[in-house]
Amino acid sequence: MAGISYFDCNVSIGRPKSGVYRPCPTAGELLAEMDWVGVDQALVHHALMRGQSPVVGNQVLVEEIAGEERLVGSWAILPPQTRELPQGEDFFTAMAQAGVRALWAFPMEHRYLLNRLTFGPFLDQVAERRIPLFIPRNAGGTDPVATWQLVSQLLAEYPKLTLVLAAHGPWGEDRYFRPLLERYPRFYLDISRYELDGGLGELVSLYGAERLLYGSNFPANAMGGPRMMLARAEISEEARRAIAGDNLRRLLQEVQL
Amino acid sequence: MIDSPIAREFLETGRCQSCPIIDMHAHYGPFSGIYMPNHTPEQMLATLDRCGVELIVSSGHTALEDVVRGNAEMLSITERYPGRWYAYLVYNPHYPAEGQAQLEEYDRHPTLVGLKFHPSMHAYPLTGEAYRPALEFAAARRLIVLTHTWGDSPYNGPEHLAQVAERYPEVTFLAGHSCHGEFQKCMEVARKYPNVYLELTAAYAVRGLIEQMVETVGAHKIVFGCDLPWFDPHYAIGCVVMAHISDGARRAILRENALRILEGRRRV
Repeated sequence: MAGISYFDCNVSIGRPKSGVYRPCPTAGELLAEMDWVGVDQALVHHALMRGQSPVVGNQVLVEEIAGEERLVGSWAILPPQTRELPQGEDFFTAMAQAGVRALWAFPMEHRYLLNRLTFGPFLDQVAERRIPLFIPRNAGGTDPVATWQLVSQLLAEYPKLTLVLAAHGPWGEDRYFRPLLERYPRFYLDISRYELDGGLGELVSLYGAERLLYGSNFPANAMGGPRMMLARAEISEEARRAIAGDNLRRLLQEVQL
Repeated sequence: MIDSPIAREFLETGRCQSCPIIDMHAHYGPFSGIYMPNHTPEQMLATLDRCGVELIVSSGHTALEDVVRGNAEMLSITERYPGRWYAYLVYNPHYPAEGQAQLEEYDRHPTLVGLKFHPSMHAYPLTGEAYRPALEFAAARRLIVLTHTWGDSPYNGPEHLAQVAERYPEVTFLAGHSCHGEFQKCMEVARKYPNVYLELTAAYAVRGLIEQMVETVGAHKIVFGCDLPWFDPHYAIGCVVMAHISDGARRAILRENALRILEGRRRV
């Protein structure tokens, strides 16, 4: 498996007020841990984007990872109606200028409905521009049914959206997400905490390696687990290479800003 | 990149010749809330081979629901693989008569090494009177008791664990999941009581926790587990071998502590 380049789709930096046992405050500490486990690149968000506000956190993220070529930025969104973030074209122009290539939605923390009523043509634009939108597994609270109903409804309303369910959680939730993988070709899974023994191999055989993205959910979770799991998964080298990083690279290259 | 020979060997081959793993927290069979692709005995053994796991100790999922049917099922499997697969006898405090009958048969089943309690699932506190016969039995035979523990639980939090550890010093308690969410208190219990060990299932994924456990409690008080057939052992192994600890600590957690605990309790 020499030459496989790992690109973690789900890491954050900052000082979250609670809930993370050992936070990772800086880009420098993140890069050191990536070096330790053998990860080349990471798509990064910032704790302030989630815990305080995207108004603050989006900019802080850009400042914190400035000059770090191995780190790619992502921003969080808010409903257009409150006009807290740049509107329409201005938002995508700002993303381009900041080098940001992906978006996050935190509807639970930011208290909004992630649906067409709220986001209307904005998410049509996100879909058209092929910008990956990441949603954490707790988007609907701790109840998995609420999150998966949210994801199911969102995809029904925006079937062309590039949607990534992140931080899956240790309980295999295949009974929820497999119908979505079947139905929506641009629905992806971050494999962080998808620890199910034999799960990766089965997903690859059923849906193809291109639907899975390597992620760690660092620093809430250790990087070593998914790194070892993917390195030793019983899948082809081609599939491993795709999941480890090539799928995410392809998605980010497709982005039109 | 990590410079540990153990980590490198696992990364390159999936196994480690010098450190075969002992998994002290496993199950068997399908389970209600989760789809598990690899839950048959043959599939589980293939996973053990793939991951360099020398032996496991299981409690059957069926036994967590139905102790009569499930314990018998688990024993029928482990007795097909002596030396490789051991069992915990599940004790459900809501079925004292059945439990008593199964305890009386304990000595007839050489693959048993201890008891398994799941106070959360059975909605009964670890400190409750109905566990007393099982705990006295375990104390008389100096058995291992693997108990589910979880933070902020009315049934099996760190305070419950401390109470039974104090009351039954002859029993070796493995704190399944290390009181997930109340890790600090669980570490205090493990540090205070020589008969309490931290068990890593699910806890291993928490960044920085293994390092903290080693630092504050000591690597000699931590054992490996991954709820097989739930979780891919390589995920758990990765968390241990890529933690910022010494190879000596990795070896203690993955193997040596469990062997020491099992010494004298394995009958086959």
